[in-house]
Amino acid sequence: MIVELSGHSLLVFVGIPVLVIAVLTLLVFASSIANGPRYRPGLSWWAPPVWINGPTATKPDPANLPELPELTASTQAPGATATATGVARTLGGASASW
Amino acid sequence: MPAGDAFTPDQLYDIERAVRYAEETSGLHFSVYVGGADSETRPFAIELLNELDDPDRTVLVYVDPAGRRLEIVIGELAKRQLSDSSAGLAALTMQTSFATGDLTGGLVTGVQQLGTHAHQPPMLHANDEAHKL
Repeated sequence: MIVELSGHSLLVFVGIPVLVIAVLTLLVFASSIANGPRYRPGLSWWAPPVWINGPTATKPDPANLPELPELTASTQAPGATATATGVARTLGGASASW
Repeated sequence: MPAGDAFTPDQLYDIERAVRYAEETSGLHFSVYVGGADSETRPFAIELLNELDDPDRTVLVYVDPAGRRLEIVIGELAKRQLSDSSAGLAALTMQTSFATGDLTGGLVTGVQQLGTHAHQPPMLHANDEAHKL
C-alpha cells in the first residue's frame, strides 16, 4: 500500500520535527559558540602564545653592554639566578601542575 | 583546543582588568604569559621575566596549558611584598581552576589574589617629624 503524503502532511510530520531538532541543537551549542573554544586539560594546545602586559620597549642588546665580572659559586646566593647581563638575582615564586 | 586564539576578547579583557587591579593594589608590575615553553618551564619563565621592563618589581605568571604547568616568578624587589607562601596559595587556586578547564577564571582569581597578598597598607605619619626617631 502506497501512502501519498500531501504537502501539509510533509510539513507536519517532517518539517516541524526538523525545526524542533534544529532549535534544540542550537540551544545546546549556543553557549560554546558564544564562549569560543574551551581549554580541555590533557588535550593538545595549538593557540599562539599570549603575553598580557608584556615588554613594551625594546631592551638594549646584552652584547653591547659593558662586561661584568663572572659570578663564582661562592658569591652566588642559594637560589640565585644568573641573568643575561651576569647579575645575580634571587627570585621568588611557586610552581604547580595539574 | 582547536586552532585559533587562546582567549576571546571578553576573556582577555577580564584578565587585563585583573592585572590592572593587582598592579593598583600592590604597586608592583604583573605580567601573564600563556603558551608553550621552549625548554623547562621554570628557566623559561625566568627568561620571560628578564625580558620585561622592570623585572625586579614584576610578578610573572606563566601558564603552559599543553604541559599543564604553572610558574609564578617574583622579582627580587617584589619578593619583599609577596612571599613564596602567598604565591603558593595563589598557585593552588589557579591549579584548581585550570584542572577543570577554566583558564580565564583561574588567571583572574589567581592574579587578583597575588595583588591582594602583595598589598601593603600605607604607613601613616611616616613623614611626620614628631614620629621620627
